Amino acid sequence: MRRLVAFLGVAVILGLGGAAGATAADKPVEIALTIENNRFSPEEIKVKAGAPFVLVITNKDKTPEEFESKELRIEKVVPGGKTLRVRMPSLKPGTYPFIGDYHQQTAKGRIVAE
Amino acid sequence: MSATFLVALREAFEAALLLGIVYGYLDKIGRGYHARWVTAGAAAGVLASIAAGAAMTWLSGPLLDLGPDVVGAAVIFLAVGVLTWMTAWMRQHARAVMGQVQRRVDAAERSHRLWVIALIAFTGVFREGAETVLFMWGMVSQPGDGGTAWSNLGGAVLGIAAAAALAWAIFRGGRRLSLPRFFTVTSALLLFVAAGLFATGVGRLAAMGILPVTSALWDTSWLVDDGGIVGSFLGGLVGYRARPTSLEVAAWGSYVVVAGLLFFGDLLRRPRRRSATVRGPVAPAEPWSRPDA
Repeated sequence: MRRLVAFLGVAVILGLGGAAGATAADKPVEIALTIENNRFSPEEIKVKAGAPFVLVITNKDKTPEEFESKELRIEKVVPGGKTLRVRMPSLKPGTYPFIGDYHQQTAKGRIVAE
Repeated sequence: MSATFLVALREAFEAALLLGIVYGYLDKIGRGYHARWVTAGAAAGVLASIAAGAAMTWLSGPLLDLGPDVVGAAVIFLAVGVLTWMTAWMRQHARAVMGQVQRRVDAAERSHRLWVIALIAFTGVFREGAETVLFMWGMVSQPGDGGTAWSNLGGAVLGIAAAAALAWAIFRGGRRLSLPRFFTVTSALLLFVAAGLFATGVGRLAAMGILPVTSALWDTSWLVDDGGIVGSFLGGLVGYRARPTSLEVAAWGSYVVVAGLLFFGDLLRRPRRRSATVRGPVAPAEPWSRPDA
């Protein structure tokens, strides 16, 4: 029993590790996203499906904002007046909503992959 | 105001749950005076959150791009580690209380490294702490409409107070349970919290490009959305996700199966007789049950 458990544990770790090698590293396109007055601009970002990209998020407000996509498991705090770069995975065609977690009523947007 | 109340409650929920359990645990084994370890760990978590929040506003460039992600993922896996350890202790105690209670608890206490309890409090608070600090700092420093900012801050403070009340309720509720039941309930709860954190950590690693991105296996956002308050609670308790990826489901399932067999396997085995091939007739198989460990 205990050996079986140990075996399962090792198998999971090896599986996760092996899968980690399979990420591509071409130079991805950069897409700018601005936060101003607790809103995103643009609110809709069009990207090519199947290609990773980089979101360059600039927060022009004085207050911090958290860029969050529940679906993509991304939570990035962007402090006031700062710019940061978020590596985004290649997406399947579809619409991926994101929000500013600190100002959910106003800060909403979506990424459309096609 | 209600929006900031919910955000703060959501961020503080998991920390409250863990603090309620570890305070309850110490009280239950008659070692309430060790609660200062928990308090110290939680206080360190608050200080570290403030430091991390401040660091984020000063950092820039690649350090700001990646630093918080790396720290965040490390804290998640550290939390999984200490919670797994805690679950093991709880199970050990659940078995011990069947026999001579006090002597076994004393032995267990000597074998315990209490800093692990402090670490649970620390990771519980620090995990969402920096974000909560920045969230609240943003409200205080908001220029212009001062009235709204302060009422928003009031909402956030109330949210954290509600989470603290929840921790208190768990602590008080635990007192009503019998000792074996308390250990069984809380160890099962910790197992699911840790499984949820493990899946969250794996999801973060995928988002960081370290693990492959897999597609969602199902979508139950029509039923319970994980952005809502119920979804957040379920997320903290059992790791609920409305749209879990296959990798996250695999991570969650493996953790529950492996840890479940390790810690709760004896419940399944009890009716049967132990196999004759078990090495060492008396020696406990689990390393954590050595009284001198």
